Amino acid sequence: MRFIIQRDRLVQSVQDVMKAVTSRTTIPILTGIKIVATNEGVTLTGSDSDISIESYIPKEEAGDEIVEIKQTGSIVLQAKFFSEIVKKLPTDFVEMEVQNQLQVVIRSGKSEFNLNGLDPEEYPRLPQVEEENAFEIPTDLLKALVRQTVFAVSTSETRPVLTGVNWKVENGELICIATDSHRLALRKAKIEIETAHNYNVVIPGKSLNELSKILDDNNELVEIVITENQVLFKAKHLLFFSRLLEGNYPDTSRLIPAESKTEVIVNTKDFLHAIDRASLLAREGRNNVVRLATLESKGIEISSNTPEIGKVIEELVAQSIDGEELKISFSAKYVMDALKTLEGHEIKISFTGAMRPFLIRPLNDDSLLQLILPVRTY
Amino acid sequence: MKDMYPKNGRVILHVDMNSFYASVEMAYDPSLKGKPLAIAGNPEERRGIIVTCSYEARKFGVKTTMPLWEAKKLCPNLIVKKPDFERYRAASMGMFELLNQFSKLVEPVSIDEGYVDITDSHELGSPLEIAEQIQKQLIRQLDLPCSIGIAPNKFLAKMASDMKKPLGITVLRKRDIPTVLWPMEAGEMHGVGKKTAEKLKNIGVHTIADLAKANEIQLKSLLGINGIRLKERANGVDNRLVDPDAISEFKSIGNSTTLPKDISNQQELFKVLDRLAEKVSVRLKRKKVMATTLSITIRYKDRHTITRSKKLLNPVSTQDEILKMAKQIFVSHWTGHPVRLLGITGTDLVENDQAVKQLDLFSYEKDAKKEPLINTVSKLKEKFGAHIIEQASNLSNDKKQQIGTETSFNKDFLQVEKMKKQDD
Repeated sequence: MRFIIQRDRLVQSVQDVMKAVTSRTTIPILTGIKIVATNEGVTLTGSDSDISIESYIPKEEAGDEIVEIKQTGSIVLQAKFFSEIVKKLPTDFVEMEVQNQLQVVIRSGKSEFNLNGLDPEEYPRLPQVEEENAFEIPTDLLKALVRQTVFAVSTSETRPVLTGVNWKVENGELICIATDSHRLALRKAKIEIETAHNYNVVIPGKSLNELSKILDDNNELVEIVITENQVLFKAKHLLFFSRLLEGNYPDTSRLIPAESKTEVIVNTKDFLHAIDRASLLAREGRNNVVRLATLESKGIEISSNTPEIGKVIEELVAQSIDGEELKISFSAKYVMDALKTLEGHEIKISFTGAMRPFLIRPLNDDSLLQLILPVRTY
Repeated sequence: MKDMYPKNGRVILHVDMNSFYASVEMAYDPSLKGKPLAIAGNPEERRGIIVTCSYEARKFGVKTTMPLWEAKKLCPNLIVKKPDFERYRAASMGMFELLNQFSKLVEPVSIDEGYVDITDSHELGSPLEIAEQIQKQLIRQLDLPCSIGIAPNKFLAKMASDMKKPLGITVLRKRDIPTVLWPMEAGEMHGVGKKTAEKLKNIGVHTIADLAKANEIQLKSLLGINGIRLKERANGVDNRLVDPDAISEFKSIGNSTTLPKDISNQQELFKVLDRLAEKVSVRLKRKKVMATTLSITIRYKDRHTITRSKKLLNPVSTQDEILKMAKQIFVSHWTGHPVRLLGITGTDLVENDQAVKQLDLFSYEKDAKKEPLINTVSKLKEKFGAHIIEQASNLSNDKKQQIGTETSFNKDFLQVEKMKKQDD
């Protein structure tokens, strides 16, 4: 194997596949990055066996030569060293050559590294994914779906299935749900799907976070293929495989209240900032709890009281308040996390009682819903 | 009598009961008087460690924390008794009640010692007369000996009460410091433990005089802020007030127990955790607090000891909740080796009325069902005051209480006593 490659492109690809590489793996060869040179270009692969990422660098793009292939072949290099080396090489071009079986020479300008490689034949094969029943969504929508849900996954392993995001495809609609059992995020989107196939899978939250980091912000289409135990995201020059979580995701549809007793419409930013201010004192106390009370005069009162530190009260004018009066306490963090995912100018908050979940939604938009469980005070 | 008191400044007594548990036993059974007596954890089992012993036993070299077999070797005629905490608690209460007759400013430090601020008690006599009265009445009414230190602050009073035992009364004035206090070894100073004493030796501080003159910057880098404090104390400076409420400022509640034999069976260890959880739960409820962090102490056969803690999403106080979390922490840190001692401690305590519970999507209905009841209760409280109604599960059953467990003594009973007083 021997090729000369633009350093920028190599660095970018290495960085992308590094997202899947971990030093803590039981399979030693997975601490490496696999590099394959063909007559068409160079492919890099990183994997931790849960996530696998393949990044492709074509020989040329838009008439610009990116790689000059001198000899095809393949090698696996220690990711830790290789990624640091390519980042710091002195010139814009890098030459890589495999000598005497597993010895790799990396040249750039007057710098030359000799690195011990690993046998590419030992590198595990990527999952074979049947590309039937694929559907496509624009990158920016995919990133929004992830951003608006993944923060709500559980970080505790007590219920492993909750560390993932539930993806359901039904009747041409994709529904993403995440919950750590204290809050729940739900986002829907229409998709183009040819078959009438339905899916119900759970994608690890970590995989979606990594995917989101790698994808650029554009509206190019990402192809998504779901199989029994894998999901594949295909973007331009990029394949992202993730294992799916086993186990049944709880049916959350019946847990989302359909009716409400108190409805408040309020400016998103004003509300977020008021909670943020109230949480300044709450944060020091336990559980980060703030209190919300409806006022008779079309307003709401946000307050927090930590006896050792002090208290804060703030009144906020609501666009409207309908229904019963209410006093409720909740985690400021959960509500702020939820509010940060909402794009609209105004939000509707629907309460069904001080001890029951409440919903935050953008006004006149049913595609996004954030549910939060309050805290019980004694 | 006022001229026997300082014009500015205070008069503090430190009352320290002499070999308290042993003395209480002798008061109950006078035939034990004059004999070598030791109170030990549990005479039949290995946890037989001397908790306290009479002065007669001390003459043979028997000391607190000594294993029973060693003590018996030194003193073959040693009489060994199991601790009867119910008894000691009653005696302690009697003692603090008596102290309260001399001043309202009584601060219990533990079951058998306390500070009394008698600055405003001049009508009862001179400080020395008051101390003598206290000592005499404790003997006459409770048949219990004590040593008393009289000084202008807590630290000096504590040092003074240590100087003559048993049945001593020692006055330590500021002007006595260079002659009395300074020649003593730094390690004898209250607040200087073994480790601190060693550290001090390394910088050439051997006596309290050395400490009083030591370099502050050096002390601070060696011992932190405590170094500065110790230097102040060595110079007789201590501004802490006698605070009758100090006992309620607790930071953690924990119980531990040494097992009768090393155990490596998980089910058996769980049973031990269950008993500890019950004890911790009872104490939390008595103090009307909940724990936000729970930690587990495991001591292995080779005495290697680990403590592991977990911050909880919701504060706990019930036996079930504590046990559940304790098991979780235990299982994830236990090596499987035989265990000698187990402990559960709750920290980051919050008052019950400050505690909150983050509700869970899959179980909130249980709490929500109680909502109408809770609303009614809060309306009642608004109308009639916070104490009009309480949850039965929050009430602790005091009758069952012991003041201590096998290996940890706690001050809770003082709390109970104080609560009773408030109710009166």
